[in-house]
Amino acid sequence: MLDPLAGRLEQYMDLLSARQKLVASNIANADTPGYKTKDIDFQNEFLNAAAQIAPHTVEARGLAARNDGNNVSIDREARLLAENDLRFNIATNLLRGQIRTVREAINEGKGA
Amino acid sequence: MSLFSLLSVSASGMSAQRTRAELLVENLANSETTRTPDGGPYRRKDAVFATDSPESPFSSVFESQLGRPDGVRVAEVVVDDRAPERRYLPGHPDADASGYVGFPRINPAEDMVDLMSATRGFDANVSAMSAVKDMIQKSIDLLK
Amino acid sequence: MPLPISPISPASVIAAPSPGAGSKSAGGFGSILQDAMGKVGELHDDASKSVESFLSGEGDDLHKTIMTTQRADLAMELFLQVRNKVVSAYQEVMRMQV
Repeated sequence: MLDPLAGRLEQYMDLLSARQKLVASNIANADTPGYKTKDIDFQNEFLNAAAQIAPHTVEARGLAARNDGNNVSIDREARLLAENDLRFNIATNLLRGQIRTVREAINEGKGA
Repeated sequence: MSLFSLLSVSASGMSAQRTRAELLVENLANSETTRTPDGGPYRRKDAVFATDSPESPFSSVFESQLGRPDGVRVAEVVVDDRAPERRYLPGHPDADASGYVGFPRINPAEDMVDLMSATRGFDANVSAMSAVKDMIQKSIDLLK
Repeated sequence: MPLPISPISPASVIAAPSPGAGSKSAGGFGSILQDAMGKVGELHDDASKSVESFLSGEGDDLHKTIMTTQRADLAMELFLQVRNKVVSAYQEVMRMQV
């Protein structure tokens, strides 16, 4: 009844969670010598998720490294932090709406 | 792996940045200290960070596809072992036979900038923890 | 006689019973409900396992666990509604025979 849209939303939320975990790790290691920023290729992984393929971590590209090799950009991570959170919010709201709709459809039959 | 393990990651970040800040504050406070209990002038201290997978009470051995998340820890505190800066102050109580006093090799301006960076790092970890808590809360709201 | 089934597609949980009155319908209704109960039971098992694994820390994200419980709950609600209709339809059929 809920699927396939709910399934896709769940996969979307899974990926957002995975990405957010990497953002938190990047932030924690913003001053660790030699640390390279981690990320996932969101667009591709979302397509892969439909085929049940698990996401994998990649190194973020295009980031300048400092003297000690660390290339974490706090600004980039802060932006992603906010973005992932917002998108997750949207997804849960959509999902909640879905559940409510299905529940109403089920209970509508009560009086019939 | 659950979002909960993320809280440990951010906590480790906060802890490491705080230690770094404490050492910097100690350096700044002692930038002119010529006499320490060990003898000789104060030697500056630096925190060295290293990636670390934090233990979380809820984590298990079977972490999922992405593996355990990278936290951070202070791997070691490096004490400056360079020869101290020598200034000619013959009247100084800690002057040696030739009238030179040993001073810590500390550049307060540098350490101030470092301290700001440590503060920003700390705040960023706080924000991360906050964002994760929000996501967990929104997941719970799915039940409403 | 077509039975009044709720408007959402029941295909995932229950198949629409074939029209037909008579005492044979009792067995038909019964086995339909039994099949449906089986599927609801499966979803409930999935949900229990998911909650278990969340509590022991091995599980995936919280939202996955919550979604499996929601799916199980919705399946149960659907089942109850259909059961009520099936029961009242059966009673109507039984009345007709007298």
